[in-house]
Amino acid sequence: MSRLIDKKLSRRRFLGTSTCALATATVGSQARVLKALAESGEVTTSKVAGSKDVFTACGMCVNKCGVIARVRDGRIHKLDPNPDYIKSRGMLCARGNAGVKVVYDPDRLKYPLIRAGKRGEGKWRRASWDEALDLVAKKMNAIAEKYTRAGVMFASTEGTFQEHFFLQMAECFGSPNTVRHPTLCLSSNIQGFSATYGTFPTPDVLNSDYIIMAGANRSEALITPDSIDQLKGDGGRRKLVYIDPRFTKTAAKADEWLPIKPGTDMAFVLAMIHVIVAEGLYAKDFVETLTVGFDKLVPHIKPYTPEWAEKECEIPARDIRRIAREFAKAAPKAVFYPGRRSSFADDDVQLRRAMAILNAVIGNWDTEGGLVPNSKIKLQKHDYLAPWYDDVPERIDKGSAVFLSEKDGSWTAMRDRILAGKPYPVKGMMIYKQNVVMSVPNRAKTLKMMDQMDFICTIDITMSDTAWYSDVVLPEATYLERQDPLESLSGILPVVAFRQPCIEAMFESKPNLWIMQNLAKRLGSEIAETFDFTMDDLIHHQVSKNPKILKDLKSNGVHYMKVLPTYGLTRGKRLRTKTGKIEIYSANYAKKGLDPLPVYTKHAEVPAGKFRLLVGRNAYFTHWTTANNAYLHELMPENTLWLNTTSAKKLGLIDGQKVKVKSPVGEGTLKLEVTDKIRPDCVYMAHGFGVLSKGQSLIYGVGACDAALIEEKLEPISGNVAMHQTFVEVSPA
Amino acid sequence: MKKKRYAIVLDTRRCIDCKACTVACKAENDVPLGDDKFRNWVSEEPLRGRYPNLGQSFAPSQCNQCENPPCNSVCPTSATGITAGGIVTVNPDKCIGCKYCMLACPYDARYFNEETGVIDKCTFCIQRIAVGRIPACVETCPTKVRTFGDLNDPNSEVSLLLAKNRYRVLKPELGTKPFLFYLI
Ligand code: SF4
Ligand code: SF4
Ligand code: SF4
Repeated sequence: MSRLIDKKLSRRRFLGTSTCALATATVGSQARVLKALAESGEVTTSKVAGSKDVFTACGMCVNKCGVIARVRDGRIHKLDPNPDYIKSRGMLCARGNAGVKVVYDPDRLKYPLIRAGKRGEGKWRRASWDEALDLVAKKMNAIAEKYTRAGVMFASTEGTFQEHFFLQMAECFGSPNTVRHPTLCLSSNIQGFSATYGTFPTPDVLNSDYIIMAGANRSEALITPDSIDQLKGDGGRRKLVYIDPRFTKTAAKADEWLPIKPGTDMAFVLAMIHVIVAEGLYAKDFVETLTVGFDKLVPHIKPYTPEWAEKECEIPARDIRRIAREFAKAAPKAVFYPGRRSSFADDDVQLRRAMAILNAVIGNWDTEGGLVPNSKIKLQKHDYLAPWYDDVPERIDKGSAVFLSEKDGSWTAMRDRILAGKPYPVKGMMIYKQNVVMSVPNRAKTLKMMDQMDFICTIDITMSDTAWYSDVVLPEATYLERQDPLESLSGILPVVAFRQPCIEAMFESKPNLWIMQNLAKRLGSEIAETFDFTMDDLIHHQVSKNPKILKDLKSNGVHYMKVLPTYGLTRGKRLRTKTGKIEIYSANYAKKGLDPLPVYTKHAEVPAGKFRLLVGRNAYFTHWTTANNAYLHELMPENTLWLNTTSAKKLGLIDGQKVKVKSPVGEGTLKLEVTDKIRPDCVYMAHGFGVLSKGQSLIYGVGACDAALIEEKLEPISGNVAMHQTFVEVSPA
Repeated sequence: MKKKRYAIVLDTRRCIDCKACTVACKAENDVPLGDDKFRNWVSEEPLRGRYPNLGQSFAPSQCNQCENPPCNSVCPTSATGITAGGIVTVNPDKCIGCKYCMLACPYDARYFNEETGVIDKCTFCIQRIAVGRIPACVETCPTKVRTFGDLNDPNSEVSLLLAKNRYRVLKPELGTKPFLFYLI
């Protein structure tokens, strides 16, 4: 762990060393201010010439918090939270504050690079934008000609606000093979809740009196405003029950922590429904008027008693019963938190269905403190006419999941089919900031897939592992150097976010729109025409029906319509399900041959001598993008393997020693952290380490990569990958 | 106008150990990189209990802006002093980097800044107070653990918090009279 934590030890240690400083020319601002203070004996306003404040939006994670960038003499000095930004309750987290180091990162990509050695060897030659883009266009056309336009796949990140242009490029080029992150994350969750409510609702955490969070670590996997609102309100009324095989920082804040056996959450949820139904604690009027299928739920739920569940999930029956009663009593201001990432087990959709049904029977739908459908502020879309191509086949992963997303596909199913070359070859990869090598489980397989590509081009801001294995690498401007299109963020209190450049783009980096426009020019006039607009044109078009949006953004950095939630807007209206009601029983699932009510299935037990590998988040990192950030690196310079104290004793392993972790698909070496904060049958490591790219200079050669170890399993309904079904061996390194 | 006396009140029950305060402080005050260079910190308190009955608290801290600062009296050049608002400061022109104050501080709140060649510590972001803004760590904290204000104003948020709640200070036995208050 970082010495910031053991600070007593660390600083005293430094006292012994020579005090003679390398007094460099850099003078810290505080020294300057204090000097001024000392001179005048007063506190002065030290206004540096050329300073300005710029409203923008954080780009360090999915939340897009409002930022005021303090720029001094052309340099971004500090990123402060925009107090008016209601979605994040006017805060900025550690990553948001560390954004300055993204811009001034010595590891940034500075100009286009063309591979000069073998793939992954790290030999590059600097190229001009003209040369690099000519090459990309030539290769894309060559693949389209030799195979079909579907032979080039497009993998995109989300939330840069400029990914729309990349997806537009995919569509206009004529490839159906686009893929983004949902099937590595939340597609099961969206599927399960949408099948029940016709939409994916937001829990009203701020106003809820009783919250159960299962595997949603909100103190560390920050989601605004939930991470802030989860803490007790005035008077400490709220109860938070937290279910997780790890004692996370959310567990530390919860009223109760239940270390559930991984993969058995559904048993817990079904048993809660059992108690609420059997004891008549459900919302009777609500269930009768607003839901369908409760009559079928009653017999279905009968066998799922708390005593049965205890044997599955290892949470005592009396606790399940008590929590179910407390939950029903707090209703409707009670919520079983839907969470976000749902890549736990290969039946995750049915788990989310069970969670959705549990919420439904207590009648918390669209009420204060319950599950509330999102609102969204309307922006006008950029319309374009994509060229038509006759010979383009359907998505390569078509049919790999029951409800496969047309735009996002299924990452691992797609990879398998590309590797098999079936039903057709995919030989080119265009990548916009998605680090597929580190994000998609089973890294060896991803590398194998990349190996068989004729051409790989990556757009990013640093040399990610994916960029490292590419043929052409194009430097994008960072989020603090770009004007982005406006982005409408839905929620209980929806906002429009605004990102404008704080400084000019450094080096030869360019915004993605510029990159796409200049690539389009080389791909022909038909494609180029769809990109024939400026960012200014686009933004004005977005607000053409409501110019106040832009006015607000310019004066406050955020636009919103209301500061208090409105509840019950869907009452008396049809929901977007087939029956127009909340579907406890899903006839649609039955028709597709799926269980219309969630049926519990057992998963494989942890084999003797092995451990279940868990993945998770911490508040200092966003996936892989931040471990190499100088400020955040100090907080966590390496990842460790968490192993329970008793398990470590059995293996004769001690805290701090290096261990080897081996799974059926890969291995890694990292430091052991012996702790009581994890179940004895599990191990955990933070994501973001064990990189292959030498372009991540602070972390290259440090720690292990979870994606190298995880054996991908597929959720057949959503196409989501399941990440908690890998068993590993741990031995001394 | 009455003299001001600045203080920070911390409600550690709300702290999630996200370390936003630590990074915000580093950026705001140009604290050099290095994991022994910081003006504020958040300690993970030892885990209480044994698996599966566990508890843990997180304790953010920084300079206490003591009324009787031990760092003050040991400074051979009078570089350390108390400024308006009760803020303990280091005058960089007078500081010779001898580090006596680092040893004298019972809270380990000071560090040596190699870039400036002088001792550095929390100043309650004096440069922000001067332009009417609150300290960076206070402003950025997601869960609003920290409240900053003037204790000489009975209606300030800090005064009201201390009037309404029980609180403690760190190492009161040393007689330093700290101005960081922890709600209990
Ligand atoms: S939660 Fe943190 S990283 Fe995410 S947008 Fe907000 S400040 Fe940025
Ligand atoms: S910013 Fe606030 S919640 Fe986060 S560690 Fe600091 S005091 Fe705790
Ligand atoms: S008040 Fe300012 S200087 Fe002091 S710890 Fe907070 S951010 Fe740092």
